[in-house]
Amino acid sequence: MQYVISLLPLICIYGILVLGLNLQVGLTGILNFTYFTFVAFGAYIAAVLSLGPATSDSGMTYILGAEIPFPLTLLLAGAASAALGALISFAALRRLRSNYLALVTVGAGYVVYTVVGNQTNLFNGWNGLFGVPTPAPQNLNSNGQMLFFTGVCLLFLIVVFVALERLRRSPLGRVIRGIRDDDGVVEAFGRNVFRVRMTVFAVGCFVAGVGGSLLVMYATAFNPQSFLPPETFIMFAAMIIGGVGNNWGSLLGAAVVPVAFAEVTRFLPEFGHAGLVEALRGVAVGVLLIVVLRFMPQGVLRERAPIDRDVREPAVQPAPSGALTGSNHA
Amino acid sequence: MHQIMLSIGFGLVTASILALAGAGLSLQFSITNFVNFAYGDYATLGAYLVLLGIHWHLPFLGAAIASGIAMALLSLLLYRVTFRSFVRRRSQNVTMLIVSIGVSLAVQGVISAIWGSGFQTYQLTAQAPLSIGPFQLTTQQLAVIGVAVVGLLGLHILLRYTTIGKSMRAMSDDKDLAEVSGINTARITDITWLISGLLVGVAGIVLAVNTASFTPLLGNQFLFLIFAGVILGGIGKIYGAMLGALIIGVCTEVAAGFVGSAYADAAAFLLMILILLVRPSGLFTAKGRS
Repeated sequence: MQYVISLLPLICIYGILVLGLNLQVGLTGILNFTYFTFVAFGAYIAAVLSLGPATSDSGMTYILGAEIPFPLTLLLAGAASAALGALISFAALRRLRSNYLALVTVGAGYVVYTVVGNQTNLFNGWNGLFGVPTPAPQNLNSNGQMLFFTGVCLLFLIVVFVALERLRRSPLGRVIRGIRDDDGVVEAFGRNVFRVRMTVFAVGCFVAGVGGSLLVMYATAFNPQSFLPPETFIMFAAMIIGGVGNNWGSLLGAAVVPVAFAEVTRFLPEFGHAGLVEALRGVAVGVLLIVVLRFMPQGVLRERAPIDRDVREPAVQPAPSGALTGSNHA
Repeated sequence: MHQIMLSIGFGLVTASILALAGAGLSLQFSITNFVNFAYGDYATLGAYLVLLGIHWHLPFLGAAIASGIAMALLSLLLYRVTFRSFVRRRSQNVTMLIVSIGVSLAVQGVISAIWGSGFQTYQLTAQAPLSIGPFQLTTQQLAVIGVAVVGLLGLHILLRYTTIGKSMRAMSDDKDLAEVSGINTARITDITWLISGLLVGVAGIVLAVNTASFTPLLGNQFLFLIFAGVILGGIGKIYGAMLGALIIGVCTEVAAGFVGSAYADAAAFLLMILILLVRPSGLFTAKGRS
């Protein structure tokens, strides 16, 4: 029971993370292959904002140490991730398209990881941070604390979901889907594609930062090993399996994929050498990604086809749309 | 001055490995038109297959050759099993990218499952470095450069002077035009995967020789250096990839010597990003949208 309760906040947090990725990749078509960099960055900032000043007896060195109260740390962390996102997207989004952009995001993420990992005076380097305060009141028992924290995560999940769903239905939402399907057309209609893409990228990174903050408060410690770049692809798997471009699909994918992959191995008997189960999990994620893309390219919950209001009759052949499903016009 | 010449010498070794893998990646991209994120893991697999050969009491050279051939075949097999059905459905580039990530995760997982995630080594005897001009390189490092030169020269001859090579270049220029001109594009695509698999397998082996000990993440980290080199040269430009590899290789080793080895790869990526800001489709391509 305690175990099930401990999974609830994780599901909510992954929901937030996948929603942010879906905004960037699924809806706008910006291939951000270093999404988890922004999650980790937000987590770091939230950790150092809520920790007290670094003293020599804790054995950690880090910046800030401002002891800011809970909801504020989260928003500031989100803002910090958004700022980093704006910086990177300014370099990456200006003139680059799909392949190049994806590779540049990976390169930029690698640079961030290298700097953060090796400059121990920033965030204690590869040793990570611990003793991060949780927002749950201390007088509750452990289950109560976990349920309280679940409530907090759920609240943020609902806020993020409603905000992103409203954004998707707004005129801006139409513009970003237009950019995804054909940015040249959007440009021809007089939109500044670069600015819209950069804005969306920053908003997605804000969401990533908020999710990362909740993740670090959940664990009450920052272990760099659990924030490594491959985590991004677990998020991609969740988004694709749930349904690309569909926020409900993101929720579904987030509820099933990362938790299933992280936790199902817990019930398997240990066999083979240490790390074998871990390795087979990687194989399973990879094969599942390929199989889903092959036989169910739109995921479990499809993105609804756009409605053309100028045509009275329903279109004879609904054109395939979606970030991963359309045909290659090149 | 002495220090920088030493760094450039090591840079040449790294560049040779990058050039081998980069030429393979570029060749595959120019024919199939998608980026293969599993490519680094092919290199890792090549390095690990040598261990298998050594386990079966083959001499190192024999194991290396067998592994190179096996990687050529495996590369073709993986294309047939995974990528081809997506290509036939004319899937978007994005889809192909993510499919290749799936392949990458799977290959990496298989390697970890078979050999474990710990460090492996070929247990080659360590050698004292020889002084050649201003450089100090071991025989193994010289062999790495030699393998790269032979490999790239072979690729050059293939592309310039054989019918297969000419068909490849025709396909990379315009696939449809090549097809109506009577080129068997399916066969050329298969051959491309064979050759790029061979190149990356060999690159993985020489990389493992050069780094002495390796883990299943060997190629994963190396992949992005390969990409950096390929991007610098312009994606799909095989000769550009060779030159890009030279720049990136020297850049990493010089940065390792002067800033610290932890920053070697980061320096290469920074260089790549800076160059892309100025020339968004690489150094050796016509100006325009990528």
